[in-house]
Amino acid sequence: MKLFRPADADPLWRDEFSIFKGEERYVNRRQLTKFLTLTSLAMFTGNVWIAIRAWFHKDPVYPIRAVAGLDEIPVGGVKIFDYPAANHPCILVRTGPDSYAAYSQICTHLSCAVFYSRDQNHLECPCHKGYFSVHDGSVIQGPPPRPLARVVLERRGGELVATGILQG
Amino acid sequence: MFGLEFYVDPSRCIGCQACLKACEECETHRGYSMINFDFIDRRETTATAAYVCWHCDDPTCAEVCPADAIKKGEDGVVHSSLKPRCIACSNCVMACPFGIPKMMIPEQQMMKCDMCYDRTSAGKRPMCATVCPSQALAYVMPEEIARRREKPANTFYFGKQQVTTKVYLMMPAGQESLSIDVLDYIWEG
Amino acid sequence: MQPRKPPQNQSLTAIDGALALIILLLIIQMWLLSAAMEAFLAGHRETALPAGIVSGVIFLFCLGLYGFVRRLDAEARRRR
Repeated sequence: MKLFRPADADPLWRDEFSIFKGEERYVNRRQLTKFLTLTSLAMFTGNVWIAIRAWFHKDPVYPIRAVAGLDEIPVGGVKIFDYPAANHPCILVRTGPDSYAAYSQICTHLSCAVFYSRDQNHLECPCHKGYFSVHDGSVIQGPPPRPLARVVLERRGGELVATGILQG
Repeated sequence: MFGLEFYVDPSRCIGCQACLKACEECETHRGYSMINFDFIDRRETTATAAYVCWHCDDPTCAEVCPADAIKKGEDGVVHSSLKPRCIACSNCVMACPFGIPKMMIPEQQMMKCDMCYDRTSAGKRPMCATVCPSQALAYVMPEEIARRREKPANTFYFGKQQVTTKVYLMMPAGQESLSIDVLDYIWEG
Repeated sequence: MQPRKPPQNQSLTAIDGALALIILLLIIQMWLLSAAMEAFLAGHRETALPAGIVSGVIFLFCLGLYGFVRRLDAEARRRR
């Protein structure tokens, strides 16, 4: 801080510990302003850190994994599988004779496992009654803040193959 | 404050010590007087002088206090040490050119005259000035002091150091300041 | 040493105003940081750079106000 003081001014301790009663209020205010400016700097640093992380972010490479055969499950049926790793359960739903949808089973509210409700044709979280659309994973009702992550499926030679995950 | 100023005229002091007794009455330092009372040369003369704190413009005691315990108010009064802060190091006692601060060993605190701030801030006179029968210690308007033969001066020189004070010393007319050389007063006996 | 004079009360109001402004800016910056973090964690990475720039602008404002307070403080104490 010596850089920012003119050479002929009193040393800093004379200002901070002034012998004049009247200067007390000035000292308190100046010290508070200094502290708040440093807090502002700290928050700016936080934002810079986020920006750096965003800049250097690489999209993750997902493995290609076979999930199920085309006729393995009936229409309206489900299959639970793990993708891309064992700690990430996913749910495959056969919505029609020729249409399939797969989503992450982890509810975006508090990570309960969602299940497929055939009567109402939607994905439902039993914990707090959050409903997700089976067509695109968006939230129909309830506390979940974001749509379900979608598992990208491809048909390769009579099989359904998972090739990636799209976050909501 | 209120236009009143403190004037000290040692030539008027009759040695009655009323100021000492009056100062002692203050509740915050009951029993201890904050007046500096001098027998000038007791062997030779009965002359006495009573002094209060001079409340310097740039108080040396406040400047040297390591605990930031001595404060000078906006009206120029230098206050006695703050109880929570004083560490009884006696820095101020040794630094004051006039020898005013007193170190109270049992209380472990420096005490000195604060011009009876509880009285002067309300427009009253300090205790010592109120009781002094000869008005050697006077707290009056400058116009009243102008009627005296002596003239007030508030500049002191200690060697090359200049000290200006809030309290005035009555000096012979024409003498603007007082030079004090400590060596002059060291008794070579 | 020259005797120093005690300061006046005029600049206090201006300093109080600057302080209030800084606190307001800080609240905005706090919200901005939390919103940027939430957006980034949710995957909207494109919001990170604009948020960083705006945060920087706010910080520069705070720095300017701090310099202003310091100048008022110095003038009040007649340091120069």
